[in-house]
Amino acid sequence: MRDLKHLIFFENLLQEANNDLVKQAKSEGKKALGYTCYFMPEVLLDLEGCFGVRLRAPACTSPDMATYYMSGRTCHYGRSLLERALEGGYNFLDAQMATETCTVTCRFQEHLDRMDIIQNPDFFVSFTDVPFKKTENGIDHFKKQLQAHVLDELNSHYGIDTSDKALEAAIKEHNEVCDLINQIGDYRKLDNPTITGYEFHVIQLVSLVCPKYLILPYLRETAEELKTREPDPTPNFRIRVVLAGSENDDPDFTKLVESCGALVVADRYCYGSIPGREPIEIKDGEKPLEAIARHYLETSCCPRWMMKDEMRERKLRLANICKDYKADGLIVVSNKFCEYWSYERTIDAIILPRDFGVPTCSLEKEYINAATGQLRTRIQAFIESVEIKTIQGGAK
Amino acid sequence: MKNPIELAKRFWYGPPHEERRIGELYKDKTGLYKHREWRGFRDTMYYFNKIWCYNYGMMVADIFKYGGVVTFAKGAWRYRWLGQTYLPVLHWFDRGLEGLRGEALKASAWHYRAMTNMTIQQFMAMLKADVNINGGEHNELWKNTVAHKETVWAGVLYPWADRLNHIPMEMIPYFVTCHVNNHTVLNYIDAAQSIGLPGDPCPMCQAEEGLFVLDDMPDYAPIVITSNEACDGSVASTVIQDWYLGDKPLFALPQPMLFDDPLVQENCANDIRELWKFIEDQTGMKPNFDVMNEMLKKQNELQRFEWEKWDVAANSNYYPINGVAQALYRIYYSQYGENEIWHQTDAKVKKILEKCVREKINSYPNTRHRVIAWSCAPLYFSNWCTWAYNCWGLNTIMNMDSLMFDMEIRADGNVDDTLMDMALYHEWAPMRRMAVGGMHHIFELWDYMERFNCDMVMMYDQLQCKGMQGVHGLFEDEFRARNIHAIWMPHALPDKRVVSRSEIRAIVNDYMFTVMQEEPLDPSLLEFDDSQSW
Repeated sequence: MRDLKHLIFFENLLQEANNDLVKQAKSEGKKALGYTCYFMPEVLLDLEGCFGVRLRAPACTSPDMATYYMSGRTCHYGRSLLERALEGGYNFLDAQMATETCTVTCRFQEHLDRMDIIQNPDFFVSFTDVPFKKTENGIDHFKKQLQAHVLDELNSHYGIDTSDKALEAAIKEHNEVCDLINQIGDYRKLDNPTITGYEFHVIQLVSLVCPKYLILPYLRETAEELKTREPDPTPNFRIRVVLAGSENDDPDFTKLVESCGALVVADRYCYGSIPGREPIEIKDGEKPLEAIARHYLETSCCPRWMMKDEMRERKLRLANICKDYKADGLIVVSNKFCEYWSYERTIDAIILPRDFGVPTCSLEKEYINAATGQLRTRIQAFIESVEIKTIQGGAK
Repeated sequence: MKNPIELAKRFWYGPPHEERRIGELYKDKTGLYKHREWRGFRDTMYYFNKIWCYNYGMMVADIFKYGGVVTFAKGAWRYRWLGQTYLPVLHWFDRGLEGLRGEALKASAWHYRAMTNMTIQQFMAMLKADVNINGGEHNELWKNTVAHKETVWAGVLYPWADRLNHIPMEMIPYFVTCHVNNHTVLNYIDAAQSIGLPGDPCPMCQAEEGLFVLDDMPDYAPIVITSNEACDGSVASTVIQDWYLGDKPLFALPQPMLFDDPLVQENCANDIRELWKFIEDQTGMKPNFDVMNEMLKKQNELQRFEWEKWDVAANSNYYPINGVAQALYRIYYSQYGENEIWHQTDAKVKKILEKCVREKINSYPNTRHRVIAWSCAPLYFSNWCTWAYNCWGLNTIMNMDSLMFDMEIRADGNVDDTLMDMALYHEWAPMRRMAVGGMHHIFELWDYMERFNCDMVMMYDQLQCKGMQGVHGLFEDEFRARNIHAIWMPHALPDKRVVSRSEIRAIVNDYMFTVMQEEPLDPSLLEFDDSQSW
């Protein structure tokens, strides 16, 4: 396929957290707000006068200083974020809008709060409590938390307008980003997709780490470009897979999977678009903040949810994603030391093949991959096993 | 040969601490005694009659009292954890009470007795209601029992205390067994990993899950309450347990993470209300708040006595309860909730405590350092503090788990007030208030060191606890800045294969020799092989 016009530009934006668009927004007087988790609604951080940056630590392969603070037995992602912070990579931040939604990223954010790491005298950290259940009580609690620990904090520290009107404007802009990403992502459903998993991964990531108002023109142009993009005459993949799992902001991992012959057609992982890019709907009689609180709790598929029906629903949802995207298999990946996904991956690897007939490959990896050889072998073996199943199925 | 007066003294009082040579009593590897420790005439007789014989007798009597020997035999045959941990109980007493004399021996042993009784109460109740060993029958006991994760404080069920029994799922099969027979749990950890779980998540959660994988959990209740305490691993293991629990109605009662926030209190209180509605819907029984208040008042009595104990421990040398008895008894009763055995025990211990204060009895005269133990302890070596005192004179005064539920609950008839207090109590659970919760609570260590007059920290280093590993460096920084002697004790909670008891002892020995430049009180305890010991 012909290269996407902005792909190299997008790739460059992912080289560091303080990328060109972040610098531009800062120079225009906007406040940069860091966050790590889907449970921190990015739409609230993209109010007029500020912008959200979902933190990454690209190319951090050896977080030595952070390992002193958080030991070598915690998630590499959390440690890499702390390492990057200690290196000065997040000094552009004006605040960290934190959640205690997984232990190690919480610890990272607590270090930001406790230690004088971010060289910005106005910098502050605000923690939001996120419920474990999608009940009315949970939604109401989340709304109050967002009001107290996000909106009120932004208003009091930086004078950000947090009125309903301002929230509605942010939702509108957010929904446009979602629509564009969904338009782009839907090409993955084609029999011969006109976008690769890697390309989509890059595009989804830039939409998370750049100021929305600055990345939007590029997304619009890319969506337009894809309307006429011609696929390769013959598909150059052997199987289609859904990539699910824990935190994954490394497009090179997707590239690795695809280089083995498995086209990644759906991204059901933290930093992915499923969920993440569903437009926010304000129902009749609902205040914008209520809609936001409800939206983020209802759309989340995080293994953190504890209700019985939700635990089971997650498997069905994953199976449905495989069906919708015509996937031949599922690759579930967790970062080493991620407790949520260690368990979720284990149970997925049992339930998805057994109850839904979805061939599943279960992998554990580091945040930034050094062990590509081993992973390549595992993925190639999985692809072969799926192909063999297809052949055997055909013979019957 | 020593003179007759000296021999008579030794006969009556036992050898002085420095000449006990306790390590020479062990048979190699097993930790079993070649012969019993001579603690002096009175204490040896007390130990044999009032601890050994009495507790063996009571263990049999309790079985009859709470359900009968047939039920017990069926349970022991069906469930590995029961068969493997019932008989070694007195060895668990021996390990924890080694070297103790006089009032310390008595007070600590009463704590052990209470825990043994409570354990038998629980597993017999499980077995009587168990579908698996009662011919597949869902009997009345099964219908009137609520199962919950061991980290759910049972006080949330007090409104039904007169009609429903509650039994924590993992407290006996997992938690107690780790202390009594540390081999048993390994089987469950391996089972969890056999279905694909990696080895690095918290081994407590792995073991809890392994009970379900191996179908070694009695089916004793129609409904289940789960929790997220203490960590991500607990949440995640609930998911796997759910798949094994089948269609049983399950209510998740999470402990909010940021529990200092008043908004969070409100949410947690609402969750408890929802739980009450769930229980009512499932059982058809309405909550009785008079019963709840009575139970809470009794529980508050336990808390008030705990504060008396802490007061003595903090401000004198007369506290008779040793480190392991303090830690295990406190966590057991405060987590389990109200039960008559705790009051009976406290009444006995109160007399001993008052005697120690009145007569200025120092039960630990060879104390060199007053130690506070922080973070989560190694379950397979909870008696390390007994060893550390005997070997080095390290006297563990207090530990983090004891300090968790540090509150009374209002029980004056205003349900809303009570609910807010219950929410807070529920949130201040073991491993949560300090280990995996708001970071600043972890650093309350410095305040507690001062309050309990401690000069040394035994810093538990649970290698697979992400919450505590995530603050490792900050503690290092603080220890250096405050010039505090802290010994990091690596361990893997229930899994002795990661760091053995022997390795733990070696780490303490190294610190005491090289950093503290001290010599052991009893060198026979420095190194010995107890790898096959229970």
